[in-house]
Amino acid sequence: MAIPDHVLVVDDDPDIRTLVGKLLEKNGFRVSKVPDGKGLRLLLEKSQPDLIVLDLMLPDEDGLVLCRNLRSRSNIPVIILSARGEDMDRIIGLEMGADDYLGKPFHPRELLARVKSVLRRARTLPDDVQEQDTNATYRFAGWVLDVPTRQLYSPKSKKIFLSGGEFALLRVFLNHPNRVLSRDQLLDFSHGREIEPFDRTIDMQISRLRRRLGDDPKKPSLIKTVRSSGYVLAVRVERGGESHGTDDPGSGD
Amino acid sequence: MGVEPEKITVRIDEDLAEIVPGYLVNRGKDLEQLPLALVEGNFQTLRTLGHRMKGSGAGYGFDGISEIGRAIEEAAKREDREGVEQGIADLASYMDRLEVVYE
Repeated sequence: MAIPDHVLVVDDDPDIRTLVGKLLEKNGFRVSKVPDGKGLRLLLEKSQPDLIVLDLMLPDEDGLVLCRNLRSRSNIPVIILSARGEDMDRIIGLEMGADDYLGKPFHPRELLARVKSVLRRARTLPDDVQEQDTNATYRFAGWVLDVPTRQLYSPKSKKIFLSGGEFALLRVFLNHPNRVLSRDQLLDFSHGREIEPFDRTIDMQISRLRRRLGDDPKKPSLIKTVRSSGYVLAVRVERGGESHGTDDPGSGD
Repeated sequence: MGVEPEKITVRIDEDLAEIVPGYLVNRGKDLEQLPLALVEGNFQTLRTLGHRMKGSGAGYGFDGISEIGRAIEEAAKREDREGVEQGIADLASYMDRLEVVYE
Protein backbone atom coordinates (compact mmCIF):
# COMPACT_ATOMS: atom_id res chain seq x y z
CA MET A 1 0.00 0.00 0.00
CA ALA A 2 1.35 3.43 -0.98
CA ILE A 3 2.39 5.83 1.75
CA PRO A 4 -0.02 8.78 1.71
CA ASP A 5 1.39 12.19 0.88
CA HIS A 6 1.82 14.36 3.93
CA VAL A 7 0.40 17.89 3.67
CA LEU A 8 1.01 20.54 6.30
CA VAL A 9 -1.69 23.21 6.63
CA VAL A 10 -0.56 26.47 8.23
CA ASP A 11 -3.50 28.79 8.93
CA ASP A 12 -4.56 30.77 11.98
CA ASP A 13 -8.26 30.21 11.26
CA PRO A 14 -9.40 26.93 12.85
CA ASP A 15 -12.34 26.72 10.43
CA ILE A 16 -9.96 26.77 7.47
CA ARG A 17 -7.69 24.17 9.08
CA THR A 18 -10.71 21.94 9.67
CA LEU A 19 -12.03 22.37 6.13
CA VAL A 20 -8.72 21.83 4.36
CA GLY A 21 -7.80 18.96 6.68
CA LYS A 22 -11.09 17.21 6.10
CA LEU A 23 -10.90 17.70 2.35
CA LEU A 24 -7.38 16.32 2.07
CA GLU A 25 -7.89 13.42 4.47
CA LYS A 26 -11.01 12.41 2.58
CA ASN A 27 -8.85 12.26 -0.52
CA GLY A 28 -6.16 10.06 0.92
CA PHE A 29 -3.65 12.57 2.25
CA ARG A 30 -2.08 12.59 5.69
CA VAL A 31 -2.58 16.03 7.16
CA SER A 32 -0.89 18.04 9.91
CA LYS A 33 -2.33 21.38 10.95
CA VAL A 34 -0.65 24.25 12.76
CA PRO A 35 -1.90 27.79 13.47
CA ASP A 36 1.27 29.84 13.06
CA GLY A 37 4.91 30.14 12.07
CA LYS A 38 6.11 28.70 15.36
CA GLY A 39 4.02 25.58 14.77
CA LEU A 40 5.44 25.30 11.27
CA ARG A 41 9.03 25.41 12.56
CA LEU A 42 8.33 22.85 15.28
CA LEU A 43 6.74 20.48 12.82
CA LEU A 44 9.58 20.83 10.34
CA GLU A 45 12.02 19.82 13.07
CA LYS A 46 10.18 16.52 13.41
CA SER A 47 9.12 15.68 9.89
CA GLN A 48 9.31 16.70 6.26
CA PRO A 49 5.90 17.15 4.67
CA ASP A 50 5.45 16.61 0.94
CA LEU A 51 3.65 19.93 0.54
CA ILE A 52 2.73 22.98 2.62
CA VAL A 53 -0.50 24.96 2.32
CA LEU A 54 0.41 28.33 3.77
CA ASP A 55 -1.75 31.28 4.83
CA LEU A 56 -0.13 34.71 4.55
CA MET A 57 -1.72 36.50 7.48
CA LEU A 58 -0.44 34.61 10.48
CA PRO A 59 -0.49 35.98 14.03
CA ASP A 60 3.24 35.71 14.68
CA GLU A 61 4.93 35.99 11.30
CA ASP A 62 4.31 37.20 7.78
CA GLY A 63 3.58 34.20 5.58
CA LEU A 64 5.59 35.73 2.74
CA VAL A 65 8.71 35.89 4.91
CA LEU A 66 8.07 32.33 6.06
CA CYS A 67 7.71 31.26 2.44
CA ARG A 68 10.99 32.91 1.49
CA ASN A 69 12.82 31.38 4.47
CA LEU A 70 11.34 28.01 3.71
CA ARG A 71 12.40 28.23 0.09
CA SER A 72 15.96 29.20 1.01
CA ARG A 73 16.49 25.92 2.81
CA SER A 74 14.03 23.43 1.39
CA ASN A 75 12.42 22.19 -1.80
CA ILE A 76 9.06 21.39 -0.19
CA PRO A 77 6.36 22.67 -2.56
CA VAL A 78 4.29 25.53 -1.13
CA ILE A 79 0.78 26.62 -2.06
CA ILE A 80 -0.20 29.98 -0.64
CA LEU A 81 -3.83 30.13 0.41
CA SER A 82 -4.72 33.67 1.32
CA ALA A 83 -7.53 36.17 1.48
CA ARG A 84 -5.00 38.75 0.32
CA GLY A 85 -6.05 38.03 -3.23
CA GLU A 86 -4.78 41.06 -5.13
CA ASP A 87 -2.67 40.46 -8.23
CA MET A 88 0.37 42.00 -6.54
CA ASP A 89 0.02 39.60 -3.60
CA ARG A 90 -0.07 36.68 -6.00
CA ILE A 91 2.97 37.95 -7.83
CA ILE A 92 4.94 38.56 -4.64
CA GLY A 93 3.91 35.15 -3.31
CA LEU A 94 5.18 33.44 -6.43
CA GLU A 95 8.31 35.59 -6.40
CA MET A 96 8.97 34.49 -2.84
CA GLY A 97 9.14 30.93 -4.06
CA ALA A 98 5.60 29.61 -3.74
CA ASP A 99 4.67 26.98 -6.30
CA ASP A 100 1.07 28.15 -6.56
CA TYR A 101 -1.33 30.69 -5.07
CA LEU A 102 -5.04 30.37 -4.37
CA GLY A 103 -7.14 33.23 -3.07
CA LYS A 104 -9.74 32.90 -0.32
CA PRO A 105 -12.58 32.29 -0.46
CA PHE A 106 -11.78 29.19 -2.45
CA HIS A 107 -13.61 26.18 -3.79
CA PRO A 108 -12.38 23.09 -1.92
CA ARG A 109 -12.16 21.07 -5.12
CA GLU A 110 -9.98 23.73 -6.72
CA LEU A 111 -7.59 23.52 -3.79
CA LEU A 112 -7.55 19.73 -4.05
CA ALA A 113 -6.81 19.94 -7.79
CA ARG A 114 -3.96 22.38 -7.15
CA VAL A 115 -2.47 20.24 -4.38
CA LYS A 116 -2.42 17.24 -6.72
CA SER A 117 -1.07 19.32 -9.58
CA VAL A 118 1.77 20.86 -7.57
CA LEU A 119 2.77 17.48 -6.13
CA ARG A 120 2.74 15.95 -9.60
CA ARG A 121 4.74 18.85 -10.99
CA ALA A 122 7.29 18.62 -8.21
CA ARG A 123 7.83 14.96 -8.86
CA THR A 124 7.51 14.49 -12.55
CA LEU A 125 9.47 15.44 -15.55
CA PRO A 126 8.76 14.36 -19.09
CA ASP A 127 9.74 10.75 -19.63
CA ASP A 128 12.54 11.58 -22.03
CA VAL A 129 14.18 13.92 -19.50
CA GLN A 130 13.73 11.60 -16.55
CA GLU A 131 15.12 8.59 -18.34
CA GLN A 132 18.07 10.45 -19.76
CA ASP A 133 19.42 12.26 -16.77
CA THR A 134 18.26 10.69 -13.53
CA ASN A 135 21.83 10.19 -12.38
CA ALA A 136 23.38 13.10 -14.22
CA THR A 137 25.54 15.93 -13.01
CA TYR A 138 25.46 19.04 -15.17
CA ARG A 139 28.24 21.61 -15.30
CA PHE A 140 27.70 25.02 -16.86
CA ALA A 141 29.46 28.37 -16.44
CA GLY A 142 31.10 27.12 -13.25
CA TRP A 143 27.79 25.93 -11.79
CA VAL A 144 27.00 22.32 -10.97
CA LEU A 145 23.55 20.74 -10.80
CA ASP A 146 23.51 17.29 -9.26
CA VAL A 147 20.22 15.72 -10.38
CA PRO A 148 20.00 12.79 -7.91
CA THR A 149 20.32 15.10 -4.90
CA ARG A 150 18.64 18.08 -6.63
CA GLN A 151 21.50 20.25 -5.39
CA LEU A 152 22.77 23.27 -7.22
CA TYR A 153 26.30 24.51 -6.43
CA SER A 154 27.54 27.97 -7.34
CA PRO A 155 30.99 28.55 -8.90
CA LYS A 156 32.19 29.19 -5.33
CA SER A 157 30.78 25.78 -4.31
CA LYS A 158 27.99 27.37 -2.31
CA LYS A 159 24.88 25.23 -2.07
CA ILE A 160 21.87 26.99 -3.63
CA PHE A 161 18.40 25.70 -2.86
CA LEU A 162 15.86 25.48 -5.68
CA SER A 163 12.11 25.05 -5.50
CA GLY A 164 10.62 22.04 -7.24
CA GLY A 165 9.51 24.25 -10.13
CA GLU A 166 12.90 25.95 -10.45
CA PHE A 167 14.70 22.62 -10.40
CA ALA A 168 12.41 21.24 -13.12
CA LEU A 169 12.89 24.34 -15.25
CA LEU A 170 16.68 24.37 -14.91
CA ARG A 171 16.78 20.69 -15.74
CA VAL A 172 14.81 21.33 -18.94
CA PHE A 173 17.19 24.12 -19.95
CA LEU A 174 20.19 21.92 -19.24
CA ASN A 175 18.68 19.22 -21.43
CA HIS A 176 18.17 21.71 -24.25
CA PRO A 177 21.09 24.13 -24.05
CA ASN A 178 21.37 26.82 -26.69
CA ARG A 179 17.94 26.02 -28.02
CA VAL A 180 15.18 28.61 -27.90
CA LEU A 181 12.30 27.21 -25.89
CA SER A 182 8.87 28.83 -26.04
CA ARG A 183 6.83 29.42 -22.89
CA ASP A 184 4.50 26.63 -23.99
CA GLN A 185 7.42 24.24 -24.42
CA LEU A 186 8.81 25.19 -21.03
CA LEU A 187 5.40 24.63 -19.46
CA ASP A 188 5.03 21.30 -21.23
CA PHE A 189 8.51 20.08 -20.37
CA SER A 190 8.67 21.29 -16.80
CA HIS A 191 5.06 20.86 -15.72
CA GLY A 192 4.12 17.64 -17.44
CA ARG A 193 1.72 19.18 -19.98
CA GLU A 194 -0.72 20.59 -17.49
CA ILE A 195 -2.87 23.61 -18.09
CA GLU A 196 -1.32 26.31 -15.97
CA PRO A 197 -3.90 28.45 -14.15
CA PHE A 198 -1.60 31.44 -13.94
CA ASP A 199 -0.04 32.13 -17.29
CA ARG A 200 2.81 34.33 -16.02
CA THR A 201 4.18 31.48 -13.91
CA ILE A 202 6.93 30.61 -16.38
CA ASP A 203 8.11 34.21 -16.56
CA MET A 204 8.17 34.43 -12.78
CA GLN A 205 10.01 31.16 -12.43
CA ILE A 206 12.54 32.30 -15.02
CA SER A 207 12.99 35.48 -13.04
CA ARG A 208 13.52 33.53 -9.80
CA LEU A 209 15.87 31.08 -11.49
CA ARG A 210 17.93 33.94 -12.87
CA ARG A 211 18.24 35.34 -9.36
CA ARG A 212 19.33 31.97 -8.01
CA LEU A 213 21.98 31.88 -10.73
CA GLY A 214 23.06 35.44 -10.01
CA ASP A 215 22.03 36.40 -13.54
CA ASP A 216 21.30 40.12 -14.02
CA PRO A 217 17.61 40.24 -15.05
CA LYS A 218 18.22 43.39 -17.11
CA LYS A 219 21.13 41.88 -19.01
CA PRO A 220 21.06 38.13 -18.40
CA SER A 221 24.05 36.15 -19.58
CA LEU A 222 22.82 32.63 -18.82
CA ILE A 223 19.08 32.49 -19.48
CA LYS A 224 18.41 34.96 -22.27
CA THR A 225 15.07 36.26 -23.43
CA VAL A 226 14.44 35.83 -27.13
CA ARG A 227 11.81 38.38 -28.05
CA SER A 228 8.49 36.90 -29.20
CA SER A 229 9.97 33.41 -28.97
CA GLY A 230 10.85 32.42 -25.42
CA TYR A 231 14.05 31.76 -23.56
CA VAL A 232 17.40 30.13 -24.21
CA LEU A 233 20.11 28.84 -21.90
CA ALA A 234 23.06 30.43 -23.68
CA VAL A 235 25.92 28.50 -22.22
CA ARG A 236 28.01 25.42 -22.79
CA VAL A 237 26.70 22.50 -20.76
CA GLU A 238 28.56 19.36 -19.82
CA ARG A 239 26.75 16.34 -18.59
CA GLY A 240 29.01 13.90 -16.84
CA GLY A 241 32.13 13.87 -19.03
CA GLU A 242 30.41 14.68 -22.27
CA SER A 243 29.87 18.05 -23.88
CA HIS A 244 26.20 18.86 -24.30
CA GLY A 245 25.95 22.09 -26.24
CA THR A 246 27.77 24.84 -28.03
CA ASP A 247 28.92 28.25 -26.95
CA ASP A 248 26.93 30.35 -29.37
CA PRO A 249 23.17 30.15 -29.20
CA GLY A 250 22.82 32.49 -32.16
CA SER A 251 20.14 34.47 -30.45
CA GLY A 252 19.76 37.99 -29.19
CA ASP A 253 18.40 39.27 -25.94
CA MET B 1 -49.34 38.39 12.98
CA GLY B 2 -45.70 38.54 11.77
CA VAL B 3 -44.59 37.31 8.38
CA GLU B 4 -42.25 34.32 8.45
CA PRO B 5 -38.87 35.48 7.10
CA GLU B 6 -37.88 33.96 3.78
CA LYS B 7 -35.54 30.97 4.22
CA ILE B 8 -32.11 30.90 2.65
CA THR B 9 -31.57 27.34 1.45
CA VAL B 10 -27.95 26.33 0.92
CA ARG B 11 -27.14 22.99 -0.69
CA ILE B 12 -23.88 21.53 0.53
CA ASP B 13 -21.82 18.52 -0.45
CA GLU B 14 -22.58 15.77 2.04
CA ASP B 15 -18.85 15.19 2.42
CA LEU B 16 -18.87 18.32 4.57
CA ALA B 17 -21.83 17.24 6.72
CA GLU B 18 -19.53 16.35 9.61
CA ILE B 19 -17.87 19.76 9.85
CA VAL B 20 -20.57 22.22 8.79
CA PRO B 21 -22.48 22.22 12.13
CA GLY B 22 -19.28 23.18 13.96
CA TYR B 23 -18.68 25.93 11.45
CA LEU B 24 -22.13 27.36 12.03
CA VAL B 25 -21.67 27.16 15.82
CA ASN B 26 -18.54 29.29 15.37
CA ARG B 27 -20.54 31.88 13.41
CA GLY B 28 -22.95 31.95 16.34
CA LYS B 29 -19.94 32.75 18.55
CA ASP B 30 -19.00 35.51 16.11
CA LEU B 31 -22.45 36.97 16.65
CA GLU B 32 -21.61 37.24 20.37
CA GLN B 33 -18.08 38.54 19.85
CA LEU B 34 -18.74 41.10 17.11
CA PRO B 35 -21.06 43.39 19.12
CA LEU B 36 -18.69 43.25 22.10
CA ALA B 37 -15.76 44.27 19.93
CA LEU B 38 -17.88 47.07 18.45
CA VAL B 39 -18.78 48.39 21.91
CA GLU B 40 -15.08 48.35 22.83
CA GLY B 41 -14.20 50.06 19.56
CA ASN B 42 -11.85 47.16 18.85
CA PHE B 43 -11.74 47.48 15.08
CA GLN B 44 -8.76 45.15 14.77
CA THR B 45 -10.80 42.27 16.20
CA LEU B 46 -13.74 43.23 13.99
CA ARG B 47 -11.45 43.23 11.00
CA THR B 48 -9.98 39.84 11.87
CA LEU B 49 -13.40 38.27 12.41
CA GLY B 50 -14.68 39.72 9.13
CA HIS B 51 -11.54 38.60 7.33
CA ARG B 52 -11.93 35.04 8.59
CA MET B 53 -15.60 34.88 7.64
CA LYS B 54 -14.73 36.17 4.19
CA GLY B 55 -12.01 33.58 3.77
CA SER B 56 -13.90 30.55 5.04
CA GLY B 57 -17.60 31.04 4.18
CA ALA B 58 -17.67 30.11 0.53
CA GLY B 59 -15.28 27.21 1.10
CA TYR B 60 -17.94 25.62 3.29
CA GLY B 61 -20.61 26.52 0.72
CA PHE B 62 -21.89 29.70 2.40
CA ASP B 63 -21.17 32.41 -0.13
CA GLY B 64 -23.39 34.78 1.88
CA ILE B 65 -21.09 34.50 4.90
CA SER B 66 -18.09 35.39 2.75
CA GLU B 67 -19.92 38.44 1.42
CA ILE B 68 -20.99 39.58 4.90
CA GLY B 69 -17.47 38.97 6.21
CA ARG B 70 -16.03 41.08 3.41
CA ALA B 71 -18.43 43.92 4.27
CA ILE B 72 -17.54 43.75 7.99
CA GLU B 73 -13.81 43.66 7.24
CA GLU B 74 -14.07 46.66 4.91
CA ALA B 75 -16.21 48.64 7.38
CA ALA B 76 -13.79 47.83 10.21
CA LYS B 77 -10.87 49.02 8.08
CA ARG B 78 -12.66 52.36 7.68
CA GLU B 79 -13.64 52.31 11.39
CA ASP B 80 -17.18 52.69 10.13
CA ARG B 81 -19.39 51.73 13.11
CA GLU B 82 -22.63 51.82 11.15
CA GLY B 83 -21.16 49.62 8.45
CA VAL B 84 -20.08 47.07 11.05
CA GLU B 85 -23.51 47.22 12.73
CA GLN B 86 -25.14 46.55 9.36
CA GLY B 87 -22.80 43.59 8.80
CA ILE B 88 -23.68 42.13 12.22
CA ALA B 89 -27.39 42.55 11.49
CA ASP B 90 -26.93 40.89 8.10
CA LEU B 91 -25.10 37.97 9.69
CA ALA B 92 -27.80 37.54 12.34
CA SER B 93 -30.49 37.59 9.67
CA TYR B 94 -28.57 35.14 7.47
CA MET B 95 -28.04 32.69 10.33
CA ASP B 96 -31.66 32.99 11.36
CA ARG B 97 -32.96 32.23 7.90
CA LEU B 98 -30.38 29.60 6.95
CA GLU B 99 -31.52 26.12 5.99
CA VAL B 100 -28.82 23.62 5.06
CA VAL B 101 -29.53 20.71 2.73
CA TYR B 102 -26.84 18.06 2.26
CA GLU B 103 -26.75 16.32 -1.08
